Amino acid sequence: MRMKLGVLVAGLGLVGFVAPLAAHHSWTADYDGSKTVTVKGVVTKVEWTNPHTHFYVESKDDKGVVTTWNFEMASTLSLERGGWTRKTLPVGAEVTVGGFGGRAVTTRAIAGSITTADGKSLFVSKPGQ
Amino acid sequence: MRRGLVVAAAVVGLAGWSSAEAQDPGRRLGGANGPPAAAEAPNKPAPRLADGKIDLSGVWTDGGGTEIPRLLKPGELDTILLPKTKQLMQSRNDGQDPYNYCLPGGPLRITGGFAWRFIQHPTTNATHIFMLQEGNAHTYRQIFMDGRKHPDDPSPTWYGHSIGRWDGDTLVIDTIGLNDKFWLDGSGIQHTEQLHMVERWTRTNFTTLRREVTFEDPGAFTRPFTVTYTAKLSEPGSEIMEYICIENNQYGLAQGMAAPGSPK
Repeated sequence: MRMKLGVLVAGLGLVGFVAPLAAHHSWTADYDGSKTVTVKGVVTKVEWTNPHTHFYVESKDDKGVVTTWNFEMASTLSLERGGWTRKTLPVGAEVTVGGFGGRAVTTRAIAGSITTADGKSLFVSKPGQ
Repeated sequence: MRRGLVVAAAVVGLAGWSSAEAQDPGRRLGGANGPPAAAEAPNKPAPRLADGKIDLSGVWTDGGGTEIPRLLKPGELDTILLPKTKQLMQSRNDGQDPYNYCLPGGPLRITGGFAWRFIQHPTTNATHIFMLQEGNAHTYRQIFMDGRKHPDDPSPTWYGHSIGRWDGDTLVIDTIGLNDKFWLDGSGIQHTEQLHMVERWTRTNFTTLRREVTFEDPGAFTRPFTVTYTAKLSEPGSEIMEYICIENNQYGLAQGMAAPGSPK
């Protein structure tokens, strides 16, 4: 049920995604690279923290059922080096987030793309291999 | 962690994913956790300090992150590990690696995927050399350069007791007194408190550091063995940054672990 919410399990896909090396731990330990998800919703919280950053997206399905997603990205360092500040993704922003779902917890995912309401793509970075 | 590149099956969909990755300047500027490497300068020699010693200072990336089995010849690992070492290694998984719970990775992994800085202090006839690690445990390693010997029976620690000397232009670091609480590398090779590490650091040119590491541990290995790493100088102006791993470590939660913070 939850998986239906705002999630388009992609039979569509990702081209040329190669994760960077190193980092605190690999995102593939926690997330399943075959569970592609796309979530459209509103950012409700941003954790500008280490070892990894997290942001939360509230997504409503066509029946009005709300799910809060916990999206993970790489460290603040990685994002800052990619041009982010802690204000790049503000609470209240409307976003479409692509990523891979948690191996066990289906409302967690690693973010692979973030598109804002005006169609702008934000730099994303994931913990390495 | 030990699985190499992840292959994300193709198809189309997820708007902006691949195009964003291809176009974003940030993506080109850095790796996951380090500043970009400086442009290769093979003909520019290693700099020297006023006392003539090689100047190792700077922000470096890598030089210890690659898992040891990948640096050995095919089949060589089997000839190195004692049976109990091999057994333990095979039983380990990433969820048990203390490194994933923000604990130090020991003297090899301090130069892993995060940026790190060499500091020679003072800058003439240095009595100490420090390695400052940006990531993970956000910690440091100190190498005594004042000619002291190892203590007879040091209490084992995460970075051990390190003494250094110059062999020509090569910095030789000798380390004992290590605990067995960290994994030697990300592949889960086990060691004991008998581990003795000898590193030979050579700045082969302005932008490159070669690190040959010899491991000796009669409690874990059949014989001493050596692997070679390379560290690259980061772009001019790069700095190490703050990274407090324990701040919000959610490792394991998405894969169903009950709580972060300790190996299960």
